Amino acid sequence: MHAVGVLEAGLCNYVLLSYGHCGRSGDSMMRMLAGLNAEDAVFGHFGATGGYALAARRAMHEFRTGPETWKRIAVGQRKWANLNPRAMMCHRPMTDEDYDRSPWVVEPFRLADNCLLTDGGRACIITTRERARDLRHPPVVIMGLGMCNPAADPAPASHLAGPTGARRAGEMALRMAGIARDDIDACEIYDCFTYTVEITLQDYGFFGPGEGLDWLQGGTIEPGGSLPVNTSGGLLSEAYFMGLTPLTEGVMQLMGRCGERQLGPKTGNKTPEIIMCSDNGGILQTHSCYILTKG
Amino acid sequence: MTKRKPPPKINADTKAFWDGCRERELRFQKCEDCGHLRHPPAFLCPHCLSSRTVMVKASGRGRVYSYAVYHVAFDPAFQEDLPYIVALVDLEEGPRIVSNLVGCDPGAAACGMAVEVAWDDGEEGLCLPKFRPAGA
Repeated sequence: MHAVGVLEAGLCNYVLLSYGHCGRSGDSMMRMLAGLNAEDAVFGHFGATGGYALAARRAMHEFRTGPETWKRIAVGQRKWANLNPRAMMCHRPMTDEDYDRSPWVVEPFRLADNCLLTDGGRACIITTRERARDLRHPPVVIMGLGMCNPAADPAPASHLAGPTGARRAGEMALRMAGIARDDIDACEIYDCFTYTVEITLQDYGFFGPGEGLDWLQGGTIEPGGSLPVNTSGGLLSEAYFMGLTPLTEGVMQLMGRCGERQLGPKTGNKTPEIIMCSDNGGILQTHSCYILTKG
Repeated sequence: MTKRKPPPKINADTKAFWDGCRERELRFQKCEDCGHLRHPPAFLCPHCLSSRTVMVKASGRGRVYSYAVYHVAFDPAFQEDLPYIVALVDLEEGPRIVSNLVGCDPGAAACGMAVEVAWDDGEEGLCLPKFRPAGA
């Protein structure tokens, strides 16, 4: 959103969004996470997993959700990763039994509900339509943007089981794009945890509270499904590059640069025209939604 | 040697809360202008932005808003406590506090369960306000 702002204001011609991190081989990610809720370390409450686990547990109390729902997300996304040679989990299929056997980290989350730690990076260049026209690759256009940041300290927050910022951000992005939710061909959702995918899709309105389990049955988000989600494997099964994992996958899919996992005849999906992407920060404290289409 | 657990972060805002804990009293900030009770302590009232506060004593009774069961010790000092429960507790006066649920099997924990404060003697005279099932 800031990139669009500075381009529109004429302050620059190209904006590079980049992220690189030795999240796996270094300890900086774990140190960053340890600082996330340092106030509560006295009670043994650390990092993101604990905070999102509190949100997910509250969601289990308020509507029908839990490991059976999240299993469909973890196993479904892994199928996409198995088609992606860049994915950390490319050669590691996941069955329902694998998910059930995955060890608890912070209950109700198993290891399979957690995103990866990755060494690597991603980048994406944003410019104006006029400049993009002359570039080598077919451009992807930003149709809609939405941002909503509840921002409250997670402990006293009431939005942990939804609606999160995704509700308003999604509505804003759809309104700006001038499209209906049914026009979306695929989603690339920020998936720090499986529950994050569920609550984001729920708040975007793809299903009602607690209807996710039924909606996910039959491989809805998987290759060949009616709404492919996180087609690179996502943060759960491809690589953790913060919001750039979903963003760059949305862009690459619309450019047609995704190889074996390219949405279309190869995967048994519609060739995508419109992709909805998300990013969120903190413990569901900030949310951005962006809708992309072919240029 | 067992690694020491991290001490509470005590600053100008939170000192009155932790001073109360030393005397086994849960104390919360109350806005002197609009009456809003808040936790964690902060300089301004999030409702009316007033900086005038008094400390009030809480009963120590509440209900579990949510909880998470740690099976991994992100800090080795907590290794011997595994599995342990971090809980968000809604005090009957209103504020919500991050704490631990103790004296409760993880399988028996539930959102909405009634709890009461259970003081845990920490190091250097510091008491940690933890919670146990009410009447246990």
